[in-house]
Amino acid sequence: MIIKKPSVFIYTHDASPQVLRNVCAGIEEESVFYEITEFPDACMEKLAYKAARDSMLGSGIGIFGTAVCLKMRGLEKGKNIESHLHPTAEEARKTGSNSARAVKKLPFR
Amino acid sequence: MRLIAGVDIGNSTTEVCVGEVSENGTLTFHAGSSCPTTGTKGTVENVHGIKTALSQAMEKIGKTLDSLYCVRLNEAAPVIGDTAMETLTETIITDSSMIGHNPATPAGAGQAVGEILVYEHLMRAVKDTPYIVAVSREHPYEEIAAQINLLADRLQITGLILQADEAVLVYNRLHKKLPIIDEVLHIDRLPDGVLATIEVALPGQTIRMLSNPYGIATLLQLNAEETRAVTPIAKSLIGKRSAVVLKTPGGNVHENVLPAGEIYLNGKETISINLDEGAEKIMKAVSAAGDIYDISGQSDTNVGNMFTRIKQGMSQLDPTSASDIRITDILAVDTLAPVLISGALAGETCLEKAVGIAAMVKTQKLPMQEIAARLKTELGTDVTVAGVEAVMASLGALTTPGTKLPLAILDMGGGSTDAAVISENGQVTMTHQAGAGELVSMLIETELGLGDRRIAEQIKKYPLAKVESLFHMRMENGQMTFVEDSIDPRFFGRVILLTENGYVRIEQDIPMEKIVQVRRDAKRKVFTANAFRALKKVAPCHDLKNISNVVLVGGSAQDFEIPEMLMEAFAEYRIVCGRGNIRGTEGPRNAVATGLVLSYIGKQI
Repeated sequence: MIIKKPSVFIYTHDASPQVLRNVCAGIEEESVFYEITEFPDACMEKLAYKAARDSMLGSGIGIFGTAVCLKMRGLEKGKNIESHLHPTAEEARKTGSNSARAVKKLPFR
Repeated sequence: MRLIAGVDIGNSTTEVCVGEVSENGTLTFHAGSSCPTTGTKGTVENVHGIKTALSQAMEKIGKTLDSLYCVRLNEAAPVIGDTAMETLTETIITDSSMIGHNPATPAGAGQAVGEILVYEHLMRAVKDTPYIVAVSREHPYEEIAAQINLLADRLQITGLILQADEAVLVYNRLHKKLPIIDEVLHIDRLPDGVLATIEVALPGQTIRMLSNPYGIATLLQLNAEETRAVTPIAKSLIGKRSAVVLKTPGGNVHENVLPAGEIYLNGKETISINLDEGAEKIMKAVSAAGDIYDISGQSDTNVGNMFTRIKQGMSQLDPTSASDIRITDILAVDTLAPVLISGALAGETCLEKAVGIAAMVKTQKLPMQEIAARLKTELGTDVTVAGVEAVMASLGALTTPGTKLPLAILDMGGGSTDAAVISENGQVTMTHQAGAGELVSMLIETELGLGDRRIAEQIKKYPLAKVESLFHMRMENGQMTFVEDSIDPRFFGRVILLTENGYVRIEQDIPMEKIVQVRRDAKRKVFTANAFRALKKVAPCHDLKNISNVVLVGGSAQDFEIPEMLMEAFAEYRIVCGRGNIRGTEGPRNAVATGLVLSYIGKQI
């Protein structure tokens, strides 16, 4: 049996290193674990949907290029917590922090 | 067949009742409606609201305004409620000696003492001096961590203060762990080279050293005199998870007692009482003064100005009788108001003592005839001013199933709490008391530091819930509710109000339990206190035991918890007390309007 740490999942496809770095920093500042996996899907929403579905915490982020999307398990298609096509450093950090806040049941920023 | 409309103009709402009188004098009620009062009660501006309410009611029975046979206005009691708040203490920090604040994610744990050293001046640091390094937002977390790691062996760095929200990020990259506080907005105001101490609480705990005057004294090596001076700081840091205290040589923190001023109660004799004696003493003085002719405040003080302001506002309504505007009753309530500390660094507030006051203003007579005349020309129907408000309310209240004479009514509105007792032979005793729904809203607004009366109004009216996931929420009574469609993420993790038009979120980060407690306390402080006061005044021999039935009417009787609170409070006097149900259908509203229609028949016979 493989036991993984409960973590926010980040599924990426050709992710921009800056965006990924800021998203991770956002999660880390909230002291939540995360896991990054490269996936062949070429759509930020699909990536996020799968990440949220697979994450034990039910919170997932999809990053396709610079586009970043935050989803929680159970959210229907087309409904995101937040998404940015070209996020600023601040926005990417906030998305990461929100994915962790979703787990902690804190209001989003 | 004639259509009769009764119109009741209240402080906050205008209510209408439409009834039909047949040839043989039997009465059937058709419709009621209510809408917000336009302008101040008893002014010609009310006409607009009256017309809206009338057309709403007529629409319900599919008729136009022309088919009205006559309109009956109540002789509104010439009393208008007003509220004001005065803080009694204030905290002033000169030369900034404190940051006590609650960043969501500080890092590390424990206390640190050291000289404040701005990050850019790291090179000037000397060996063997403990430092707390302050870093502005420009520096990324990797750089800070690398730099501190590099210097860790040479310098004695005991703690960090960051401007950006990066405490955990830096902490995770440090070799030698330090307590770190982040999100300090005005980091540039930290004076270089000053002795400071920081504390981060252990997970799940609050700070211990800096919320204790002797703790601060230990860390900063203060003498007895200085320790006394830091007591207000310690007090304001209680409950925080992290804090910074600076030792500025000239700096000081005062807890000022503001000169609040005296209130003069002119009854049979003049009684004066100082505002800072607190609400309890003031109310005792008010009841001791008996029938009060007028209330005024010491000139050039906060209360004095407050009373003058209220009277001025009233005199604008009716300039002719300006000299005869009097405050005949006040209700004072103790409260705490979070006030911004002047001189603080991160926008901290401190709970200051305050007194909320509702005042009852009496004018000679409200220009009801003017309203009637204006309404008559605009509608083209007969408009009469009929009946005294309290009598009409009692008449209306009697339509509640299960009531009989003698009966006491308690009319809890927005601006005033009125009580009346009708004896078996129809004699009515009545009183008007200051303090009702609006004072409750004001208390909620100040105690929660909302700065917005509208949201306070809503907190007063609606129950709360906390959204715990996108698919469920917990109600304030502990019940869980699950929803089919996901809740909008804007509400996630927040405390919301369940209104009839969907959810309203509360922007401030206040726990649901706190809001519930403040709301209930405010209602209890105003309504139970006032209910006793009012009923005692009208009860035969001023003894509550002589009242057997109390019917609660008015807007605030519609509230979801006030009637229950009063029921509990009256239980020990064996008084049957409950929310009225006018005409068996309308609930506690519309009593006066219904009474006005009823009184029409009385007149015919």
